[in-house]
Amino acid sequence: MKKAFLLLTSAGLLVLVFIGDLIRRSLDIEMGWLGVIRDVLLIVAFVLFYLLIESMWKREQSPVKKLGFGLVLSIVIGIAMLVLSFIPNSDFDIKGYSLIPLGFDVVVLANILGIVVGALMIIIFLSVRDIILSKRRKGTRRNFLLLTALLLVTSLTSFAAEPLDTSILTSILFALTITAMLMNAFRLSWIVYLTKREKMFTMLFGFILFCIFIGFDIMLLSSSMVGKSLLFYSPPLKSFCSSISVFSTIYFGMTFLSTLFHLPTAEAFDRKMTEVTSLHNLSRLVTQVFDFNELVESVTRMTLDVVQAKSSWLEIIKESSTRTISLSGIHDNNIETVGLKNISHSEVTEIVSANGSSLRDTVLQTRKALVIDDVENDKRTEHLSDIKHKIGSLVIVPLQSHDNFIGILYATKDIAYGFDKDDVDVITAFADQATIAIDNSRLIEKSLERERLLREMMVAQEMQKKLLPQILPDFKEVEIEALSTPAFEVGGDYYDYTMLDEHHLGIIVGDVSGKGVSAAFYMAEMKGIFQSLSKIYRSPKEFLIKAHAALAETIDKRWFISVIYIVLDLRTGKLQVARAGHCPMLYIAENNVRFVQPKGLGLGMGSPDFFALTLAEEEIQMQPGDVAVLFTDGITEARQSSGEEFGYDPLLEIGKTVRNNNAIEIRDAIITAVDTHMGHQPPEDDLTLVVLKWRKPSTIL
Amino acid sequence: MSDFKLNVRNINDIHVVDIKGYLDAHTAPDLESAFSKLLDDKKFKIVVNCKNLNYISSAGLGVFMMFIEEVRKNSGDIKLSNLTPKVYNVFDLLGFPLLYDITQEETDAVKKFGA
Repeated sequence: MKKAFLLLTSAGLLVLVFIGDLIRRSLDIEMGWLGVIRDVLLIVAFVLFYLLIESMWKREQSPVKKLGFGLVLSIVIGIAMLVLSFIPNSDFDIKGYSLIPLGFDVVVLANILGIVVGALMIIIFLSVRDIILSKRRKGTRRNFLLLTALLLVTSLTSFAAEPLDTSILTSILFALTITAMLMNAFRLSWIVYLTKREKMFTMLFGFILFCIFIGFDIMLLSSSMVGKSLLFYSPPLKSFCSSISVFSTIYFGMTFLSTLFHLPTAEAFDRKMTEVTSLHNLSRLVTQVFDFNELVESVTRMTLDVVQAKSSWLEIIKESSTRTISLSGIHDNNIETVGLKNISHSEVTEIVSANGSSLRDTVLQTRKALVIDDVENDKRTEHLSDIKHKIGSLVIVPLQSHDNFIGILYATKDIAYGFDKDDVDVITAFADQATIAIDNSRLIEKSLERERLLREMMVAQEMQKKLLPQILPDFKEVEIEALSTPAFEVGGDYYDYTMLDEHHLGIIVGDVSGKGVSAAFYMAEMKGIFQSLSKIYRSPKEFLIKAHAALAETIDKRWFISVIYIVLDLRTGKLQVARAGHCPMLYIAENNVRFVQPKGLGLGMGSPDFFALTLAEEEIQMQPGDVAVLFTDGITEARQSSGEEFGYDPLLEIGKTVRNNNAIEIRDAIITAVDTHMGHQPPEDDLTLVVLKWRKPSTIL
Repeated sequence: MSDFKLNVRNINDIHVVDIKGYLDAHTAPDLESAFSKLLDDKKFKIVVNCKNLNYISSAGLGVFMMFIEEVRKNSGDIKLSNLTPKVYNVFDLLGFPLLYDITQEETDAVKKFGA
């Protein structure tokens, strides 16, 4: 809306002036005060036009684009001006200080030229303003404003004056303007930041513009047709346009020269800029190390940028369980090639195979970057065949932090002697940054993993604790004592009891192979099976067969649960035992201490048929005072620091001495013996013990 | 602390795996990858010589369970030989002698494949 208003008003004013000029020419009247009004109208028209342009102006464009824009515009208008100036047949007549047009054609020409040149100069002025202000330093803005002010004042001094009447004031101001122009003409620091390509364009544009504006300067001279036309049209405008033209000539000339001098260093500057950007990006990358794969991809991608390499890849040395890797320990098996850029796996394999590994060894031993300037003719790379023609030079840089090698960075160029000393320095510095990033990434991954394991273990421990009976039953016929201590890393010990009916007590002790959450999970499954099936399948053998069938469907091949299961008739003391791959039962009878070990595979092992076939059940008639001890391998495999296991014999020995003790004393005797054996070693495995003592008839009330 | 070593050698088409040291949850993956490799290479006649095996945990036993089915499907076998009494006891408790062919000497196991 506003734009339309500006456009219409300024166009209207210009048309008005044009019509006025035509009338004046046809009536041949003196201007007098009408001349002042005409000047005012023109000034208003151009100010409005300036505001219109300004409102549509794009400031953000790069200086080079502005130059290009100015160039196109100048060429078009320059040609138009040349053509126009040859069209009219008549000329101006000089009378005193004023110019009298001899024909209508020159009046038309003067109007057209005035509008077009005025518009052009406004646009050029804005372009140059933006270019100068694109890289500001102290005073840049102030100097430019000074220049603008001087330009305007100089132009306005010829306001309402006769075209050829130049005052001393105008001349002085013009001299000052020239000084301001020179001051501004050195504001060329924006050139430094251009890329080489942009500098080439800038130089070209600058030169052409310089030439065109020299042309403009000449055309705008008062003696030329264009100059006279403009002077006739409006002396202030002519003054303004000439000044802009002179300033543009100086500025574009300076631009050309300055770019010319910057050109030889343009490439180096470009490279430094990329290096700085890449190193900066990488240092930012150090904080974004949660995705290891993304990180290595970025490292090789930036390697390409930082030294303008053709291809790049990274060999990462896998961490082994043993913390430090000795030099000799680094070989193909624990090296992973990642982040390949512009190179295939087979090509990498060719480069690092055979002699290639000796290249790698050299780097690892010297701990320094290795440069092969001429791959085709170097002895160290003579093993390469086809790929030799693709690679001109090769750099291999170790990634090392302290004494640890993390990996090796490779970069190639397709020309020989492609990597100069600067490149090698930069890539080495870059490798150091990458090392830190990769190192951090690994540390984070490790601590996350540790955190996860720890939490998992706590969950499993909690689960395991809840699966064990919280209180033991109290019977008058039998004393029962139990103890289960989980090792720090959760094991899979499980024990439980249930009343099959009023008179039958079932007790199970088991051990799930493996540790952690999966062990706890299988344990929970076992508890479910025990609590449900034991009441249906009364004999231990039958129960275990069904339990195996139930488990075999879900359990992983490498997992099994070893259990021992006893059923005690509380009325008679009849004890039935079946064992599925578990430790035997220690049975302490008078004058006879022994292990009861009926045949049986672990639950989850073998086909159901085979399992049933091989499972045996034993029956013992408990005598008053007899003791049955169920335990897990945490007892027999309890180790001393020397590695010596507790074993089975000490259990037999203890059994011989404790028959007259009560259940809790027997339990403690065994635990004390195991503790003593282990010394102060923390237990490696869960340790579970259940002691049953059939009471003497005298104690049954 | 847990030290485990493993070596595969072959006698004709029979592959003998010598295992040494402690076979527990930490070292079981080593044996697992050795078996995997043999199976990948279609080597199904395997003897595991346990002469120098000092200890085996349930995780170690699990490795044998993992592969026996596939090996037997391919008309091969995993036989065990030269078990020390202590290690034999662990195998025995779980009922391994019922599932696996366990021989005194490696040569016996090799002979059985020949037959």
